[in-house]
Amino acid sequence: MELMFEKWAGAVSVLNIGATKEEGGTRAKTIQIGGEKTLPFLFAEGALPHKPVIAFEIWDVPPQDWPGEKDVLSWAEICAKDYGAELLCLRLQGSHPDFGNKSAADQAKLVVQLLKKVSLPLVILGCGDDTKDNLVLPACCEAARGERCLIGSATQDSYKTLTAAVLADGHNIIAESPIDINIAKQLNILISDMGLALERIAVNPTIGALGYGLEYAYSIMERARLAGLSGDKTLACPFICFVGQEAWRAKEAKEAGIEQGILWEAITATALIQAGADLLVMRHPKAIEKVKKYIGGLFRS
Amino acid sequence: MEVAKDTTILNAAISAGVYIKSACGGDGVCGQCKVILKKGKVAVQPAGRLSPEEKQAGIHLACLSEVHGDLEVEIPPESKLDFEKLTTDAYSAAEEIEPPASIIKEGIFKHSPLATKIYLELPQPNLNDKISDLERLYRQLAKIKVPISQISLSNIKRLGELLRDSDWKVTATLAKKDGVTEIVHLESADTSGKNFGMCFDIGTTTISAQLVDLNSKHTLGAKAAYNKQASFGSDVITRIIYAREKDGLEKLHNAVAEEMNRMIQELIKEHNIDLNDVNCVVCAGNTTMIQLLLEIDPSYIRKEPYVPTANFLPVIRASEVEININPRGLLFCVPGVSSYVGGDVSAGVLSCGLNKAKNLSLLIDIGTNGEIVLGNKDFLVASAASAGPAFEGSGLSCGMRASAGAIEKVKINPKNFSVEYKTIGSARARGICGSGYIDIISEMLRTGLIDKLGRMKSGYNKEFIIVKKEEADSSADIIISEADIENIKRAKAAIYSAASALIRHMGFDFKDLKKIFIAGGFGTSIDIEKAITIGLLPGLNKSRFVFVGNSSLAGARQILLSEEAMEKAEKIAKKITYLELSVEPSYMDEYMAALFFPHTDLNRFPSIRH
Repeated sequence: MELMFEKWAGAVSVLNIGATKEEGGTRAKTIQIGGEKTLPFLFAEGALPHKPVIAFEIWDVPPQDWPGEKDVLSWAEICAKDYGAELLCLRLQGSHPDFGNKSAADQAKLVVQLLKKVSLPLVILGCGDDTKDNLVLPACCEAARGERCLIGSATQDSYKTLTAAVLADGHNIIAESPIDINIAKQLNILISDMGLALERIAVNPTIGALGYGLEYAYSIMERARLAGLSGDKTLACPFICFVGQEAWRAKEAKEAGIEQGILWEAITATALIQAGADLLVMRHPKAIEKVKKYIGGLFRS
Repeated sequence: MEVAKDTTILNAAISAGVYIKSACGGDGVCGQCKVILKKGKVAVQPAGRLSPEEKQAGIHLACLSEVHGDLEVEIPPESKLDFEKLTTDAYSAAEEIEPPASIIKEGIFKHSPLATKIYLELPQPNLNDKISDLERLYRQLAKIKVPISQISLSNIKRLGELLRDSDWKVTATLAKKDGVTEIVHLESADTSGKNFGMCFDIGTTTISAQLVDLNSKHTLGAKAAYNKQASFGSDVITRIIYAREKDGLEKLHNAVAEEMNRMIQELIKEHNIDLNDVNCVVCAGNTTMIQLLLEIDPSYIRKEPYVPTANFLPVIRASEVEININPRGLLFCVPGVSSYVGGDVSAGVLSCGLNKAKNLSLLIDIGTNGEIVLGNKDFLVASAASAGPAFEGSGLSCGMRASAGAIEKVKINPKNFSVEYKTIGSARARGICGSGYIDIISEMLRTGLIDKLGRMKSGYNKEFIIVKKEEADSSADIIISEADIENIKRAKAAIYSAASALIRHMGFDFKDLKKIFIAGGFGTSIDIEKAITIGLLPGLNKSRFVFVGNSSLAGARQILLSEEAMEKAEKIAKKITYLELSVEPSYMDEYMAALFFPHTDLNRFPSIRH
């Protein structure tokens, strides 16, 4: 029997997170994501040069509804040393007016300390309050200049300030759209119109956890990936998926014992990997371990 | 004024000729009809549209407040539907009297106006020639080969005296009524030189009219005015709903009939014409507008399976629908296709000649109800897209119709953002018309004042001044706001995506189109390149576009002047197939993708890619 292969005109762009000494930063290594030349795991059809990567989510303030360390610096160290994290995702939740209202200067200082403490590449997230993030994130961008972080999130309503800061300080940007392929595409065009190359954008398509719209997110990611592979450069960016925050919001994850929660997070992650997720931000070390194993299995052959 | 108990303030205001904004047509949903109750008592239906502060200040929604005693009501300026502000003379002269040169040369149809006047000198009866008066009249007409088959009893009653008083010299007004020639009117002496007709395009937002000399074929004058039905809702759907309310249909009918009568009066006064010499009226309009004019309940247009009461209407007396011309004058409605593709489209196709095109062509009528017709001499398919009144200048902070003082061309300096503009008639600026908005948005995109979403550069506080009030004929600066841009973006997306969905449905591509006719009330012109820049029109070579102005009115005029054109219009209406986009799944996807300047898919606009 003859196997039919699709010939794709395009490829997913490759995003580099973290700059080593040679590249002007201080990270131990650079993480690369994206670069797919085919749909997920059709190895016979095209190249899949980079494995999906998992970032450990850590917060600058102790989270209220999930367990975390009190001190973010030691938290980061635990992730790096005890769990072998490749990448950290720092959420600056404490900037939010309702969660401590930390100043831009304080947060920038924290970023500098974190960069000193661990040598992993960094994803930095704002608190979700546009006005505050537009003050804090540019300061953090500047503080981390040269480290080639991935910074987010830019939305359709607020992308200009962050794009300008990311552009000035040599980082990458997360473009967030509300499970909408048109808005995802439009936002990428708007950001690239400001001069930031499409190759420096990671798309956050917004996902739902298992049982909470996962299949909808899946289909949106699949559509975007098909467009990207068909040659639409404005949709050929790698995906970043916030698995942990979504999975642990599920009633089934919170209320039926920790084991089920871990599985909930892991299953959500593996489904999204099949949809084309390139970077997964996760919370529970055991869920991360399971998903890493799964990724290893996919790439064994 | 006096009204019955339980009349809403909104209805009372309309009866008094005061127009209050009401996009939802009195459903208590839109919250636009805020009024301040100064004195008196009303019964109020609860609605969540008012804040506690507003309630404290005595603000009521006019549509939900029923009169229960003497009232004193103040209408705040923001609630006023100010037709006058938009057009100081409400029936301003339309920009073009004669059709744009681009409309295929008139005169292709045989000149045979729907009403003709013939001067007759009858031989007096004597003992040798004693046939009756009526047969005498018929005999004379038969001599000049006019087959008469009808005359009304009222005319026969006056006949004996009229013939003798006029010394057997009379003028007969003949009209063709559904294939039959009728003596509509008889008068003494030779008045055959005075034979006039009116043609109307009755749009959801704008009514346009022309006075035509049926003998010389000349258009003597033109008028345009906003359709005052707007105070019952800005789109056809809310008006259809309103028609079902008590006296709703009558009010809607009166609003349009009064406006038409006013326009006729203005025109005959300006041209010194006797109303009795205006013998026929031709109306082209969307199906709802025509049914409202004829006071036919339009309810079923809105309900599945969306069937109108009639697409082909018989010729009626204008007086039957309270249109005042010669009391025996006739009114014709151009036949329509379906509930959402009306006679205005048949007339448009007729006037631009789409039905005779050798190559695949497209007609885009940019109005509140945008209509798209695809086809050539072999087939015609039409779709409708509800675009809203933005391109007619309605619902925008400084929008106005394309009349004197409307900004229609704009250039913005990319260095210091200074604005150069041109107004219609070079008058002092009063507002911005549709083509002006197209220019402004395309210039703002080019100079980076807005991004492709339509969001303004920071530092502009969501509005950009086009003309300062000191320079303008306006009490406030003439501006464009982000909300205006959003409005235009939605309107252009509706029209582009309807065209795109229709073309795809038929298995074609925009590239297959050899000619695209652009119709709509855009003053003298529309800048095709700028319309492409904002994504209103497809990204094709400029040479394929032809601007045809108000093609519906042009078609109505052709019909007024030629029976042959009327027959053609009927054939066109029968030939057009209607495609309902609301059940076409790809339409919504197309629309969402078009909510961007120019479009989410930049490959469709090769000239704008960078």
